[in-house]
Amino acid sequence: MTLVADGTAAPQRTRRKALSDRAFAWILIAPAVLFIVAIVAWPLVETIRLSFTNASLAGEDYVGLANYEKLFQGGKFTEIIVRTFVWMFFSVSLKLILGLIGASLLMAAVPGQALFRILIMPPWVIPIAMGCLGWLWLFNGDFGIISGVAQAIGLTDGPFAFLAYRNSAFWAAIVTDAWVGTPMVTLFFLAAMQGVSRDLYEAAWVDGASRWYRFRRITIPQIMPVIVSMALMSAIWTFNSFEIIWILTQGGPRGGTTTMIIDTYKVAIANLQFGEGAARAVIIVIMLALFSLLYLWVLGRVNRKYGVK
Amino acid sequence: MATLELASITKDFGAHKVLSGIDLAIRDREFVVFVGPSGCGKSTLLRIIAGLEAATSGRILIDGQDVSDAAPVDRGISMVFQSYALYPHLSIFENIAFPLRVARLPEAEVKAKVARAADILQLTDKLALKPGQLSGGQRQRVAIGRSIVRNPKVFLFDEPLSNLDAALRGEMRVELSALQRDLDATMVYVTHDQIEAMTMAHRIVVLNKGRIEQFGSPMELYHHPATRFVATFIGQPNMNLIPATVAGTGAEGLTVDFHDGTRMTLPVDPAGAHPGDRVEVGVRPENLRLGQGLAMRLRVLERLGGTTIAYGMLADGLKLCAALPGDTTVHEGEDVGLTFTPADAHVFDAQGRVMRRRQAPALAA
Repeated sequence: MTLVADGTAAPQRTRRKALSDRAFAWILIAPAVLFIVAIVAWPLVETIRLSFTNASLAGEDYVGLANYEKLFQGGKFTEIIVRTFVWMFFSVSLKLILGLIGASLLMAAVPGQALFRILIMPPWVIPIAMGCLGWLWLFNGDFGIISGVAQAIGLTDGPFAFLAYRNSAFWAAIVTDAWVGTPMVTLFFLAAMQGVSRDLYEAAWVDGASRWYRFRRITIPQIMPVIVSMALMSAIWTFNSFEIIWILTQGGPRGGTTTMIIDTYKVAIANLQFGEGAARAVIIVIMLALFSLLYLWVLGRVNRKYGVK
Repeated sequence: MATLELASITKDFGAHKVLSGIDLAIRDREFVVFVGPSGCGKSTLLRIIAGLEAATSGRILIDGQDVSDAAPVDRGISMVFQSYALYPHLSIFENIAFPLRVARLPEAEVKAKVARAADILQLTDKLALKPGQLSGGQRQRVAIGRSIVRNPKVFLFDEPLSNLDAALRGEMRVELSALQRDLDATMVYVTHDQIEAMTMAHRIVVLNKGRIEQFGSPMELYHHPATRFVATFIGQPNMNLIPATVAGTGAEGLTVDFHDGTRMTLPVDPAGAHPGDRVEVGVRPENLRLGQGLAMRLRVLERLGGTTIAYGMLADGLKLCAALPGDTTVHEGEDVGLTFTPADAHVFDAQGRVMRRRQAPALAA
């Protein structure tokens, strides 16, 4: 704050200065605003508009809520929603459980610790398409090692093509998705575990707490904020996961692996029904928005509960 | 409560010797402080007693029982960490109750024990809070509470006050001393702060480079330091060491020549000293006074009120420090003479070993 002897001139000068500051600020953020409008806001608005039309290659007419009404007729879309959530639940659970086990193992002070930490990365760092092609072979009935081993130990009578049946294809897709997603979850958990003070474990050890007790009452609560944020973020990513299913099964067989995102793609891009596809996309946006709100709310609560400021 | 005995404890980290040949017998209900510069092995020794670290060789006996291979929880010890090691996600109640929960004690017993500890430490109204909501001193008390509820034979403290500010540290020193008396417990306390050691300990273990330099009461260490290291480590400001040459030995003690030609006869046992040997004469700042003697140019004066600490230099460049009466009328840059009573001098041979003083003050109990 400056004190000026001339009481009249000073405020004027400040006001003019404030205005130019504001203009300058707008100039600075303008590129970012334009960018966001171009790639987020406008497409979103356009998608919402399209969802009220019957847009296709033939042209478009306003149809009101017809697309939405059609969606919820016959129960097929509801089935897809349920399948999406089942897919999300099992894939995320698998990633979290494997991530916790993996991170705990990687915390162990063993020779070659750094090497093991690097060895878990490939599923995450190699291109997803490459990884999925590998899994295509693994799941193959005639040449796949999984079917081969299952036959050898007598689990199946003959070759079993995992991707050829609705149920097995669904679970195969979950396994593949978890395989891709686990390394990142593991590394986040590992980083969080490394942040827990050694003194806490030593204090508990002096008090006689077993390894499991220390894991349960120190490690888990201490990394809970990370567990929760990984759970919610990976739920959103899994919900949106497209390429893994598309490469493995393209949503088949007979829709057995069609999640909402696959369904939207098929309708809007493969069948060129832009209006109906847009209605599906809008529902996805609403669900993800709710998810994000839930994420922020839960994270705030967890951080307060576990003493993170 | 219990005795604690260490027999020839050694600890190596690879080729690096951290501790060598530590022998120590701590009495029942004794408050013993391990003190030494950083890296002297004091924390490692405490962690070996706790069982957090295994000794390379040697034995640990608590109440006569060999616990060298026992798990920490089976040794009957509890430990307070420098970082307090409180569980941030648990309430103060659950933090204090943690060892009892591990031991699966019935709820009523847990409540009673926590209530008693909280009462002793004045934490009763804080039990529902989380550690993050407490001040440093209160967190420290919670950590102590957690060790009290276990009712251990020996309490171990690893630099528990070093994260507190100076005023609070002074307060906690008094509280810890009182607590030790109230609990009537055997306590082993590690610090690098000689003031904490002097004020709280019944006996002090001075460690240096993995060895015990001296084990004795605070006043014993002050008046009869066994080595040059102990002499300079204990006492504030540090003891002055003035190089001198042995001129002769006799019935009255050791006669030495200082570099400026001053000759003095000091009442110490001149065991094995020969004329011409180089020795160091140690004089505590508080034993120096103005008078005919060593000529010093004053460089800095620190006026503390009751005392004036005078830092200066002799003609040969040796730095000295004298604690003079508060109102002494001297000025920075002035040349003064410093003298001391021969009986107050400590004499160290070239190896840093002390020559026994003949007229040392009687020791306080």
